[in-house]
Amino acid sequence: MEEKEFILQLLNPKTQNNAFQKLLSDYKRPLYYHIRNIVLDHDDANDVLQNTFIKVYQNLNKFKGESKLYSWIYRIATNESITFINKKAKLSGASSSELKSKIVDNLRADSYFEGNEIQLKLQKAIHTLPEKQQLVFKMRYFEEIKYEEMSTILGTSVGALKASYHLAVKKIKILITKD
Amino acid sequence: MKEFKKNDENKITSGFTTPEGYFEQFTVELNSKLKLPKTEVKVVSIKTKRWLTSIAALLVVALSVSLYSKMVLSHSEENSTTENYITNHSEISQYDLITLLDTKDIENLGMELNTSNTKIDEEFANTNEIENYITE
Repeated sequence: MEEKEFILQLLNPKTQNNAFQKLLSDYKRPLYYHIRNIVLDHDDANDVLQNTFIKVYQNLNKFKGESKLYSWIYRIATNESITFINKKAKLSGASSSELKSKIVDNLRADSYFEGNEIQLKLQKAIHTLPEKQQLVFKMRYFEEIKYEEMSTILGTSVGALKASYHLAVKKIKILITKD
Repeated sequence: MKEFKKNDENKITSGFTTPEGYFEQFTVELNSKLKLPKTEVKVVSIKTKRWLTSIAALLVVALSVSLYSKMVLSHSEENSTTENYITNHSEISQYDLITLLDTKDIENLGMELNTSNTKIDEEFANTNEIENYITE
């Protein structure tokens, strides 16, 4: 089905419910991992994922089709995740990077983290990077999102994203091979 | 370094997992949440509430007064209509009225009139047509 046709189904009250169920089934897994990579904790990821889909549902009539549906949904999810982590950090009286480092340090105790040494090492290395580089690295490396798509989601040029990713990889390689 | 290449079998995953059946449960929960009414409950401040209560009370008083006066007016209208009906309808004779009244009613009427013998004598003396009434 063409995206335009699918969007029309989402906007039509008669077909909206079925179309939204399809959207939910297509997007819930990739969006969950996208959000989880940012907020790190499962319960927080669950809250943000719910908020994301509720926002998508409530704003379907505002979607003008200027960008791809995929980019629009990912943009909402990214903004929701960043807003959530900033709010949580503010409540705990720390910066968002301090909060994330703290969560990463406690990952071993997280029931929903596999706990592999190399995975833990990678997570720790990622969270030493600047915020934007972290996001670009996670979206490219874990989620395998194309630079063009990432560009529409984050509103950054493809060139800048490529540069950011290569810088991130370089730093992570050093950190992982250091010990 | 091998780990950072796309589509590599040895690629390091994020390590994040979910509880069993999480995504199925998520769909159920989200659908039930989306069926909730979206309208927000309007918060009415105490000040506004007080004003609204006062206006409502005033309206109740105004309505009650107008309703009461209307009722009283319609009641008096009803009485006069009955009286007019009785006086204007010749077929109702005093005998008809007598048959409708029992002794208790007549006693009550006498109490209401409270007529003394002297007053009756005075009335006879001053009224010329009284004889007609007596003969009837």
